Amino acid sequence: MEPAIVACGLTKIYKEGPVEVHAVGGVDITVNEGELIGLFGPSGSGKTTLLSMLGCILRPTGGSLEVFGNDVIAIPEDEMPWIRKRYISFIFQGFNLFPALTVFENVMLVLELRKAPPDDAVRRAEQLIAEVGLAERSSFLPRDLSGGQKQRTAIARALAADSPIIIADEPTGNLDHSNGVHIMQLLRSLASERRKSVIVATHDSRTQGMFDRILYMEDGEIFGQKEMVK
Amino acid sequence: MFHIALRMLTYDKVRSLITLLGVIFAVTLIFSQIGIYLGLMQASSVLIDNTPGDIWVTSKNSRNFDFAHPIPEYMYYHALGTPGVEWAEKLIVAWNVIQLKDGSTEQIEVIGFNPDTGIGGPWRMKAGDPGAVKNGNFAIVDESAVRRLGKIDIGDYKDVNRKRIQIVGISEGVRSFTTAPLVFTSYNLAQRLGGYISPDSTVFIIVKKLPDYSVRDVVASLQQRLSGVDVFTKEDFSFRTRMYWTIETGVGFSFLLTIVISFLVGMLIVGQTIYNSTVEHLKEFGTMKALGAENRDIYQIIFAQAILNALFGYVASLVITLISVKLYDMTGMTMVVNWQVNLMTLVLTIIMCLLAAVISIRKIRRIDPAILFRG
Repeated sequence: MEPAIVACGLTKIYKEGPVEVHAVGGVDITVNEGELIGLFGPSGSGKTTLLSMLGCILRPTGGSLEVFGNDVIAIPEDEMPWIRKRYISFIFQGFNLFPALTVFENVMLVLELRKAPPDDAVRRAEQLIAEVGLAERSSFLPRDLSGGQKQRTAIARALAADSPIIIADEPTGNLDHSNGVHIMQLLRSLASERRKSVIVATHDSRTQGMFDRILYMEDGEIFGQKEMVK
Repeated sequence: MFHIALRMLTYDKVRSLITLLGVIFAVTLIFSQIGIYLGLMQASSVLIDNTPGDIWVTSKNSRNFDFAHPIPEYMYYHALGTPGVEWAEKLIVAWNVIQLKDGSTEQIEVIGFNPDTGIGGPWRMKAGDPGAVKNGNFAIVDESAVRRLGKIDIGDYKDVNRKRIQIVGISEGVRSFTTAPLVFTSYNLAQRLGGYISPDSTVFIIVKKLPDYSVRDVVASLQQRLSGVDVFTKEDFSFRTRMYWTIETGVGFSFLLTIVISFLVGMLIVGQTIYNSTVEHLKEFGTMKALGAENRDIYQIIFAQAILNALFGYVASLVITLISVKLYDMTGMTMVVNWQVNLMTLVLTIIMCLLAAVISIRKIRRIDPAILFRG
């Protein structure tokens, strides 16, 4: 089976005048279908930069990156939205929901971007919102939701894209423990039941047991990984 | 994406209201400046535009209707005898002084026309008949003159250049650019009122061409036949008069300057608001990009916000302007707000708001993906 992501020697160097900052240096990583990967590491270790590159929103400085066999490095900039639209969804620590749009409209937005037929889009948005347990809150604005509800909305939005890869940055970072566990369970089920490839950057060591594999990052490099026993 | 733009505008009501007020302020100013300018220009050539005939013969280098010099009256006969001329008519336009009831004086523009044909006379009467100025010291005053001359009724007597004349009619809608009251008399009386019009001179000769002749051909024939005068088509003389007031007096420049400043002020207000809104929603826009939206998807939202601001602002400004037209009319002046002005202002408003959105577009293009991952 073709891996979802294959990265070899992935590097990102930021240049600020004469100064070069090596944010990520020579990372090798393969992400398989249906795999839930945890990316652990302290702040400034390069997790976010690595996620940005794997999510095709930041161009690597060096190395190679393939997403479902597509050579991302060779793809011109104006085709990158197509790669993201086709393969990748995101969940952010800060939720990044449109404050002026309701839960339903935030989810619909992704479907509209994908030019889904209106009737199908409405049906799918309602179904996804129900799946994350927000059917009663469908018409609420984000300001009227709790942190956990906002993150569940963000997950419904990510699912609306039906992308095979989901990249989540600190999805439980702004949540209390019980909401955090609930969100992680949702992500776990996405990998196990829907065969999504989910990469989660997190600080929360209490969630370690939920991952298939954990990568440890420091100073822009992966210095260790652990296969979790099911 | 239009509904997202609308939701973003209605979400932050205070900011949207402030933007809308800015647009309304700028657009109302643009509306009024264009409307007042056109009103003034309409007034400057109102007599030319409302007088029958195709061609105007004027003194040499005559640059506008109001300050034309006398020309020999015999030229009228030369004009009449020119091939292609159906009829010709003399018209006097002369500056005179009228004495008011309180003893003070006002400058007036006397229009001396042929009461038998009515050509060059008032075209809309509120009371009386244009032919009534015939055979005597009679005059017709426009109702707009009340502001300058005081209340006037038919039968009143006034002194013009120390000659007693009786008011026999009140006309409507005859306002001059100079704001001096227009007083219509018979051609003969206008000649006798003295001043710089001698008994053997006229100021204009108005010519009507025969149906089988082109205006340009008759103009050329008149130019060849009459020496020391200018010959214009009616449209050319009207345009020449308007351009004189527009360019020579600086009126056009000052109106243009106000329109440009209004446009820039409106653009700044809308631009600043849309820019602030864009910066505040940068994460959400960035998220859209991360989810596969192309720049043009986001541009649509930003431009839609600009267009919505333009449309709402335009409609509100139009209502204010239409009310202003009525108020302006009460002051004795005219503000022209026709469909052309409406369309021009709408286009200007949309351009203003779209240009204002361009700064935000630049911001979207350069979204740093790192902001998406900041909690």
